[in-house]
This record gives sequence, structure tokens and C-alpha cells, in this order.
Amino acid sequence: MNAPVSLSCPCGSGLRSARCCSLDASSLPPPESTRHLVPLVERAVQAHRQGANDTAERLCLDVLEMAPDRPGALLVLYQIRKDQGKHAAAEALIRRVVLFDPNNFLATNELALLLMAKGALAEAEIHARNAVRIAPENPQAHNLMGMIMTEAQRPQIGEFHYRRVLELAGNRDPILLANLAWCLKNQGRMEEGRALYRESVAAAPGIRQTLLGWARLEEADRKFDAAAEILDQMDKQWPDDPGVLLSRAVLLGRMKGYDEALAVLDRIAALTSDGRLGPTELSEKGRLLDQMGRYDDAFEAFLEGKRLARELSGNQYQDFAADTLIQRLRGFFTAGRLRTLPRARVRSDVAQPILVLGFPRSGTTLVEQTLSAHSRIVAGDELPLIHDITSIMPRMLNSPLVYPEALAELWMGDQRDGLDNLRDYYLQKVGQMGILEPGAAWFTDKMPLNEMQLGLIALLFPEAPLIHVIRHPLDVMVSAISNHFTHGFFCSSALETAALHYVRVMDLVQHYRSEMALRYLPIRYEDMIEDQEATVRSMLDFIGEDFEARCLQFHENQRYARTASYAQVTEKLYDRSRFRYRHYRRHLEPVIPILQPVIERLGYTVD
Amino acid sequence: MEEIPPPAAAIGAMVPVPLTELFTIAAEYERAGGLEQADRLLERMLEASPRQADTLHLAGIVSFRLGRHEKSLRQMQEAIEYGVDTALYLRNICEVYRSLGRLDEALATARRAVELSPSDPLCLHNIAIIHYERLEIEESIACAERALMMNPGLAGAHFELAEALLLKGDWARGWDEYEWRFQISGAAPLMPPTDKPQWDGTPFSDATLLLIADQGFGDVIQFGRYIPWAAERCPDIVVACPSEMEPVLRQLHPGLRMFQNWQLCPPYRAYAALSGLPRLHGTRVDNVPVQGPYLRADPARVAVWRDRLDSLSPRSYRRVGIVWAGRPTHNNDRRRSTTLASFAPIAALPRTALVSLQKGPSTDQAGRYFGRAPLINVGAEIQDYDDTMALLACLDVVVTVDTSVGHLAAAMGVPAWIMLATAPDWRWLLTRDDSPWYPSVRLFRQSQARQWGDVMLRVADALRERFAGSAGPLA
Repeated sequence: MNAPVSLSCPCGSGLRSARCCSLDASSLPPPESTRHLVPLVERAVQAHRQGANDTAERLCLDVLEMAPDRPGALLVLYQIRKDQGKHAAAEALIRRVVLFDPNNFLATNELALLLMAKGALAEAEIHARNAVRIAPENPQAHNLMGMIMTEAQRPQIGEFHYRRVLELAGNRDPILLANLAWCLKNQGRMEEGRALYRESVAAAPGIRQTLLGWARLEEADRKFDAAAEILDQMDKQWPDDPGVLLSRAVLLGRMKGYDEALAVLDRIAALTSDGRLGPTELSEKGRLLDQMGRYDDAFEAFLEGKRLARELSGNQYQDFAADTLIQRLRGFFTAGRLRTLPRARVRSDVAQPILVLGFPRSGTTLVEQTLSAHSRIVAGDELPLIHDITSIMPRMLNSPLVYPEALAELWMGDQRDGLDNLRDYYLQKVGQMGILEPGAAWFTDKMPLNEMQLGLIALLFPEAPLIHVIRHPLDVMVSAISNHFTHGFFCSSALETAALHYVRVMDLVQHYRSEMALRYLPIRYEDMIEDQEATVRSMLDFIGEDFEARCLQFHENQRYARTASYAQVTEKLYDRSRFRYRHYRRHLEPVIPILQPVIERLGYTVD
Repeated sequence: MEEIPPPAAAIGAMVPVPLTELFTIAAEYERAGGLEQADRLLERMLEASPRQADTLHLAGIVSFRLGRHEKSLRQMQEAIEYGVDTALYLRNICEVYRSLGRLDEALATARRAVELSPSDPLCLHNIAIIHYERLEIEESIACAERALMMNPGLAGAHFELAEALLLKGDWARGWDEYEWRFQISGAAPLMPPTDKPQWDGTPFSDATLLLIADQGFGDVIQFGRYIPWAAERCPDIVVACPSEMEPVLRQLHPGLRMFQNWQLCPPYRAYAALSGLPRLHGTRVDNVPVQGPYLRADPARVAVWRDRLDSLSPRSYRRVGIVWAGRPTHNNDRRRSTTLASFAPIAALPRTALVSLQKGPSTDQAGRYFGRAPLINVGAEIQDYDDTMALLACLDVVVTVDTSVGHLAAAMGVPAWIMLATAPDWRWLLTRDDSPWYPSVRLFRQSQARQWGDVMLRVADALRERFAGSAGPLA
């Protein structure tokens, strides 16, 4: 019997709420008392296998009404809801399987994949690691880690796991080779990636995702003709494939074929049932329209893209979480407390970090490309390590508290060198990532919004140069609305929340700077455009390195930056992105009052 | 802050209180320092009777004392509009105009007050203050003298006269008039009541001389130089001083005894304020004692601070210490203090790091600074004057508004560039850009009242000139 509609769980599982998301685990009957339901579960599994989904569903609901923790029934119902596209229900059900049966490899694998698809990479990583713990010699477990770590911007760790898959599987599976190729592409190792794509395609010529990845590699490596050739081949095999078409549109955009690119996007829209584009296509369309000077149309596309992305992913700005963390950081990092805390000692035996700070899309990639063109500086890209340290700190410091309060352990006699351990964790991970090159004295870490952790960074690396890239806040907003990024508690899911988060972060930076001495240099993006050499000189001066002229030719820096702005930083400095907001002045009206105090504080005006 | 109980009738009493009585209560609050209570009560009275001149006037005084000068001005103007043209109102609005830097209006109003009440010496005293601020020193002296002819015991006018005389370099007369500073109504007493005499400079060696480190920290640093001179006349010296000043004063005389609590004051024969010693010494512009550094930093601390600065900015950078604001409770703070933002021309210098020596509530401006030169905000790490001295020893130059840090740097022989309001404190004299007190001081004077823009430009130019040729040119 199905539960009455009024009591159904809002997740859409079909179970009663009390048997689903509001389940009280303490009220569950002991497993032995529901053993008689096992035959029903087996029938459900069999029905599902035979395609009798209605029967399977009814059986599962019946079983779970009596025994909500039966993993078999949960798994079948999960599969049914997943196939129906009921994502919230599927997620709730698979989470419950993992909760009640933590050693279930299949469920752990599914949950990790689901979380990865959602963009919840940190949580996906937890389950991927569990998968390896459950089955350390299972190639799929390592494949999962490979995928998640590559997406989580730790491709070096991902590469390790992909190579473990190669060892364990004993063969060179073409899909795995393609995954590894993508991982290498994300490390800027284009030639190696290209070779693997070639090998993969030779072994299995008709894999769409492989070819798409290869085309993206060629496009990123500025081999536009090669990319076009792959897409031409794909067109023949998969005419009107939306993924191929989108890649084509991106490629045409980079080759400045804006009209053609728009036409390709129109073709994608025409192919959908409702004639509309998805969030990624809409953002691309907006960027093309922006390049063409059709700003009203561009903004409309950006906004619609954001709206759709919110609708599909369910990701909205985590207002409360952001506010709470910022308040706690402000409360903890005060001049009085900082006086009582030790600092990590500076290591002279390894390269030291240069923190390139800034809101996403404020010009951090440009600064990193510029600096890493220097002979003694290598690019570390967006290192997730400071964030990792905030997570592992309670364990490392043996604290019952969480970050930042866990730093109170530094007052204990046995944790006085706790910061040295955390510093070494960071440096060790950097070493593992293969970032460091012989002769490098510095590496950059340009994880956006690391400025939220300025206090912690200054404790860990008291002498590290902190280069904060400042840009007109309205320009930052234009970039935030025209790109999808998940940093900052999903603040960029809407224009207003991006503005709110920006102000919160800048206020927090102000707090840190008032309360503590920092090796901090603000660099204006606009100065990089207007007076590049002076700005680069002042950055290198500040770091303590001699000026090298090749830093001015950063666009010739062959390193591939994996962030959204990669296409821009491979071009010479151009003026078009400076004060770009003026084209969108009317559209940005709602956020000007929110940003005005920071605009003034930074010395900008709204023209 | 302790809640001040209503002096007479409770504000929220059930029985209606006549406005006149409420006015008395508000005035009592104001006198007792219960400014917020007075303000709330006056607001309510003005809601009931918005054109009551006395209420508006008192509200204006309260707003002024609360630092709400614009609001005070509006209230005072309305008091004058709705009330009779009294000299009292005019005298008080004068002070508001002056605080807001509206000196023409201040002077015109002050003159009207004198016309209305020509025999009131306070009106003339007011004009003397305004003339001083307008840098019309002879006029200031003349007005103060006229006020004193009417009331020779008017301490405020004596003090104003002293400031004007000292500023123009007439120190012989100036020091004598300066002695009136402790008689000014409302001035903090120098010390608890005593039956011992004020020292007249006569040497004695069989008893203790008590010196009192009075006024601000800058004064203590400046006049501390007289301690050795006093010790030559009276070897047994004890100094009453704030604990913050101990690291400074202990350098001035070996074994100097100091105390902070008057209960610990040892027996003494005579006393003197440090700020009174120049008079006893007979100091003139050309015989200021101690022409050279008389304070030095502890080398061990200097090493620590040098390392700290090296870790926060490149060693090759020129290090310019900066202070942009003084103690906000100083009665001249609005004129002498500026903002960190106004340092923009200095912040534009390449290969230069600004080292903030700022303390107090203005420190928060450091977080809002986005200039080209990196700002090293070590203010929060400075524990005491030993730290400040060590830090100063690591700097190429100090650029400061008129605060104690300028005195400290100058007393150490560190180049101290002090930026002054148009009408500066008397000790910086008129027009000159050096100081007889400190050879390492360079003065930068405002050419327009309350405008720091051109001062900063001149300082930036001077820095550029000073640093030219060392560690690469400044663009």
C-alpha cells in the first residue's frame, strides 16, 4: 500500500516522510525482526532486472515501510528514481544505503558519482576515499578517485589513481586512457595528453566523450585547426550532438567567428524539446553576444543561464553558512588573540608560496600567468590546500573544536608547533602535486577567496607575499554573472548574492588588515592593463625577485591555466575587459547600492 | 559608563513635569557629564516645543560636547533665530564655527558678541582664540591682553596669550603666561592638593624634588630633556608619570625613581611640572638644551623589529613610518589629524613601504588602504614605547601628524617629518621648517586650513628627493 499523498516525503521517494528523510534511526526494528522481508526484496531485484519497474517499486515501498533500512530495497528504489530523473529522491535513498551499509562499495561508488555530478566535490571525495578503503584493489575505486581529484583541481593525485587503475586492471582501457589524458591536460601536459587521446581513439574510435575531450585539449592548446578537425569527424558520426555543437561554438568563439558560433548555439536550441538552451550554452551565448557588443542580449542570456543553473542544480548562495563563518573568523582573529598565538617557522629548504588572492574572475589568473613567466616562480594554480587545512585542523591539533576555534590548541604545551605541522602538510601536498620545478624559489597559489583565510595564512606562512588582485567591483560582478563557479558558497548563482558575498569578503579582509601585520600588496587589475611594466615590477619587487622582461609577455607563457579565464590569458593584455561594467550599467543597478561602500573604499567610481 | 541618576524628577514620571523644570534637569545632566541623558531629554523637549531658544542652545552645547558638531551648529543657529540676540549664544556658536573650520563666520560672530557685550572679557578671549587659529598672532595677543585688562584673573586668556607669545617666539613672556594653564576652569589638576611649594629652580641636595610628567606623552618626551638639568640642581629626583612613559624617562637620568600611584609618592620638598621646567631653565629659541639625540632604542629589540619588517616587506624598500591621527580626545584633534587615505601621494612612491605606527581607533583605516606602497600595519604588535623606539630605529624617515611619535623619533635623532595644521601648536613656532627643539625634525605646514593635499604632495616630493640615488630612483 502506498503512503497517503499528504504524508509523502518531499524528496519524491514515494515513501512516507517518517520512513524517509524524517526517519528516526533509533526507532528502527532490529534487522533480525525484518528478515522475513528478504524474499520480497529479492523479488523486487528480479522485477527490476526484468524491467517490471512498477512491480519493483511497489515491492520496495512495501518493504521500506516496514524496514526502512533494508539496503537491497533502498538500492532498487534508488535506481528507479534515478532513472526517472528524480534526483533529490535518488540522492536521499543512496545516502541512506551508505549510512546503513557503509561497506557497500556499489552504493558508495554511486553516491560519490552523484555528488561529483552535482559539483559537491568535497563530499564526493570523502566517499571516493571510502571506496578505496573498502576495496583497495578495485580499479573502479581508484578510477573514482582519479575522476574526483582531477575535477577537484588536484590532477596530480588523480593521475596517481588513474595509473593505479592501469596497474590493477592489467590492460589499457580506452576510456581510462581518455580520463588520464584529461587529467594530464589539466596539468598542462598537453603532449602527453594528446598521445593518450591518440592511443585511446586508436583502440576505440567511436567514443564520443573521448573525442570531445581531445577536441577541448586541442582548443586549450591553441591548436584550433586540430580541434576543428576532430569536431568535423564527430559531426559526421553524431550529427547535431549538443555536446559537439557546444564545443564547436566555443571553438568558433575563440577564433572570433561570433556569428557562426551563435548560429551553432541556435542549432542546439532548435534541437531541444522546448527550443531553449541549457545553463552552459546560455553562458557561452552571453559571452559571444558580449564580444559582439550586444550587451542587453548578452545580459539576458547570462541571467537566464543563472536561473536555469539554480533550477537544475538546486545550488543557491549558502547565506547563513557564509555569514556564520565570517562572523566566527572576525571574532577569532583579533589583534589581542593574535598576539598570543605562535607563528609557523619559515622553511628555507623548499620553495615558498605566493598567495594570489582575489574574488573569482578578478584577474588572479592574469597575475599568476605573469608571475609564473618568471624563471624563479612556478604556477601552482588553484590549490585547495588552505581549505583542506581548515578541515583537518581539529584532527591535526587534536582539538574538540572546529576551525578557527581549534587554533586555541596552539596555547597547549604539546601543540606549540602545531602550525609547523599544518605548514608541512601544505608543502608536502604541493610536493606531491608535482608543481615544483628545479630552481623554483616560489610557487603561486591562486585559489580564489583564499583571502577569507588571511589570518590562518599569515600564521602558517608569515613571510609569504600576499598579492590581492583588486578590480572594479562592478567588473567583477559582470564576470561573476557571465561565468559559472562554485567558489564562495555558491554566491555566483545570482547577481545579488555575488555582490553580497563580495562585500562580506572585502569587509573581512579589512578586518584582518586592521588587526594584524601582513605582507600584503594590493594590485589593481586596471593597473595591469594601463601600466603593465610598472605593476609587474612592483609585484616582483615586493616578492623580492629581479624584474624579467618575459613576465610582460605572459601570453607566450605556454602553461595552461585551467580556470575559466584561460582563453583570455593567452591573449595580449587588452583594454576591453577594463570597466566592462559600463556596458551593463543599467543591468547592474540592483547591486550598486550593495557594492557602493566597497567601490568607494577601493577608490573607484561608478560612471 | 555609569548611569547617572536623574537629578530631580524622573523623566518617565507619571506627573507631568513643566518644561522649565525639565530644562533644569537637562542642564544638571549636562553639568554632571550625563550628555546622552541630557540629549535624550532635550530631544523630547524640542519635540514638544521646537522653537524654545534656551532648549535649542543647551541642546547645541550637548551635541557639541558629544562631538556632533554639524548638529550643534544647526541647533545653535536656531537658538539665535528664535531667541534674543545674546552674547552667550554668539560666544558659543563661535566655538562651533571654529571647530568646523568656518573661521570667517566664527570671527564675524565673535565680533558681534563683543558689540553686544563689550565689557565681557570672555567674548574677547574668544576672538583671541579665533585669531590664533587664523594665524593672526598680533591680533590674538591684543585681544587676549584686552580681555585681561577687564579681568586680570581670566586664566583662559592668559593661556591664550601664552600660546600666541610662544608661537611667535617670545618665550620670555610666554613661559610666565604659560603658568596659568593649571588655573583654567575644568583643567585637570596637576596633582592632589599639597602644602609643598612649587619649585623655583633653586638648587637643594638634602631633599627630594618631585617632577610631574604632565600633559601628553609628546610633552613628556619633549620636556623630559630637562630632567638632567633639574638633577644637576637637585640630585634626588622622583617623577610621577604614567607607566607608558617609564621606558622613555628611565633613559634620561640613571637610577631615576618613578611612580604611578600618588599613594606611593615619597616625601618631597618641592614639586614642578615637566612642562614648567623650560621657564625655570630660561629657555629661549636659541638656547634649547640637548641638541642631539637623547633617547635610543634597545639594540636587541631593534634586531627583532628589523627581522619582523624584513619578513613583511622587501629589504630594498625605503621604510617610511607614518601616523595619520592623534588621540581623538585631544581638543585639537580635528585640526591636527588627517586620514590614511590622504597619504596617497606618498603611497604612490615606488620601492617604498609604509610602516604604520598608528595606535588607537584610527588604526582601522589600515584595512581600507589600497595604495601602491605596501602598508605594514604593525601598530597592533607594538606593546610599549620600547617597541616603538626599536621600530623607529629601523625606519628611514617618519612622516606624522603632530603626535607623540614625532617627538619620540625626533628625540632619537630619526628624521621626523611633522605635518602641521595652519595654526600649529606653539612649540613649532611660525613659518620655519626646522625646530630648535629637535635637529632631525622637518616641518611641513598646511598652506590652507584643514587641507592636507598639498602637504602630502610636498612630503612626497621631499621623500623623492631624499631617496634619489639610494637603491634606485623614485619615479
